[in-house]
Amino acid sequence: MMIRNTFMTELEQLKQDITALGKDIQQAFHSVYDAMAENCVPALKDLIDADDAINAKELEINEQATLVIAKQQPVASDLRHIIVCLKISSDLERMGDLSVDMAKAYMHMSSREAFLAYKEDLDKIQASVTVMIDRVLEAYASLDVLKAQQIAGMDDEIDRAYGELVKALFKSDYSADQTAQLAFIARYMERIGDYCTNIAEWIIYEVNGKRFDLN
Amino acid sequence: MSQVSVKQNAKVELQPQGEKAEAKKEIVYSTEKVNLWYGKTHALHDIELDQREQEVTAIIGPSGCGKSTYIKTLNRMVEMNPDVKVTGKIYYRGQNIYDRRFPVEELRTRVGMVFQKPNPFPKSVFDNVAYGPKIHGIRDKKLLEQIVEESLKGAAIWDEVKDRLQENAFGLSGGQQQRLCIARCLAVEPDVILMDEPTSALDPKSTLKVEELVQELKAKYSIMIVTHNMQQAARISDRTAFFLNGEVVEFDKTDTIFSNPNDSRTEDYITGRFG
Repeated sequence: MMIRNTFMTELEQLKQDITALGKDIQQAFHSVYDAMAENCVPALKDLIDADDAINAKELEINEQATLVIAKQQPVASDLRHIIVCLKISSDLERMGDLSVDMAKAYMHMSSREAFLAYKEDLDKIQASVTVMIDRVLEAYASLDVLKAQQIAGMDDEIDRAYGELVKALFKSDYSADQTAQLAFIARYMERIGDYCTNIAEWIIYEVNGKRFDLN
Repeated sequence: MSQVSVKQNAKVELQPQGEKAEAKKEIVYSTEKVNLWYGKTHALHDIELDQREQEVTAIIGPSGCGKSTYIKTLNRMVEMNPDVKVTGKIYYRGQNIYDRRFPVEELRTRVGMVFQKPNPFPKSVFDNVAYGPKIHGIRDKKLLEQIVEESLKGAAIWDEVKDRLQENAFGLSGGQQQRLCIARCLAVEPDVILMDEPTSALDPKSTLKVEELVQELKAKYSIMIVTHNMQQAARISDRTAFFLNGEVVEFDKTDTIFSNPNDSRTEDYITGRFG
C-alpha cells in the first residue's frame, strides 16, 4: 500500500520517542539519587522542575499515537505497537514522578543522619533498580521477550531488600520524620521497580499479543 | 554495591490473562476439501470453512483470491459458468449440496444473495419485494402487503419508502436500492444470506446503514459477507476467513484475526504490507 512507508516512519518515530523518554527517566533517577548522596539540594530542586519536560514528552507521545490511530486505523501488531507505546509512556512518566517524590522526601528530612546510616541498604536497592531500568529499556529496544521475563525475578529481590530495610527502620532510634521519609524513598524506588515489571509485561504483549502477569 | 542477579535463560511459565470460553453454535454450512477449476485454472484449493448459525462470517483477501468464487459455490451459482468444475463437499444443514439429487431451487430459496451493485428489478418498490413470495405461490394481497412491510422493516428501509411503494425502484438512492435488495432477499424467509461486497458501491453513510443492518439481521439469519473493507470485516463479523491465491490461509474469530493473527501472511495483509 502507498501509505505503508509513511505509516512505518510514524511507528518508528513513536518507538524512538519512547526510547528517548526512557533515557530521560533513567537519567532523572540517577541524578536524583546522586544529588541525595551528595546532599545537593539545589540540584534536587532543579530535577523537580525538570519533571515538567518529561510530562510534556509523555503528552506529545499520546497525541502522536492518537493521530496515528485516527489516520492509519492500525490493526494487529501495528495496533499493539501503538497501544504499548501509550502504556509504556504512561509508566515511564510515573517513574519520573516517583524520582521527583524521592527528591521531595529527602528534602523533608530534618537531618541526613539516618540517610547516611542506611545508605548502604539504599545503595543496594538503587543499584538493582538501575539495572532493572537498563534491562527493561534494552528489552524494549530489541523486543526481547526472554529479557522481559527475567525482569520479574529482579523485582522480587528489590521487594525483599525493601522489606528488610523497612523492618530495620522501624527498630531504629532515629527520629520519626527521618525514618518515615527514608521508608518513602525506599518505597518509591521499589515502585519504580514495579513499573519496570509493568513495562516488561507490555513488551511481551507487543510481541505475543497476550497479557501475562509477571508479578 | 551488589546488584540483583539475573537468571540467565530462565524460562518463566506464563499463563495469558482474559481467555474466555466460547459458546458452541450450530454449523449451517460446512465446506470440506472444496477445489474449483475455471477450465484449466485451479481457482480454489482444498477449502475448509464453517458457517455457524446466527453469526456473520467475513471473507477477506486481495482481488482474485477466490472470495467471490467461494461464496458462489454455496448456492451453486458458480455453476452458471459452464467451464466450472467443483470437487469436494459442501454441506448445508447436513446435506451435501453437490449431491446430484439435491434440489438447487430449494437451496436458492433458503440461501439469499446480495450483490456488489444493487440490482433491483425494473418494477415498483412493492413488486420488487413481493416478487419472490409471488413466485412461491402467494397470491393473497393482504399477506403480500404484510410480507412486503415486514421485509422492508427488516431491511431498515420501511420509513424511507413506505409512501413510495408504487414508485419505480430505480428512483431510490444507491444505498436504498441495496437495502431494497436485502428486503427482497428477506421476503422469501431465507436461512442464510450471502453478501458479495454489498457496500463497495455505496457512500459511507449508506455503508454504515447496511453494516448496522447486518448486525441486526444476524439475530435471525446466518450471514456470509465478502468484503474488501477490512475495517468493515472487523466491525461486523464474528469470524473472518483470509483467502490468498485460492486458499484459506487463516479462519478464526474476527477478534483474533485483527488483533493477533496466527499466520504471518494474514498479518501482512491486514496491516497493509501487501495486497
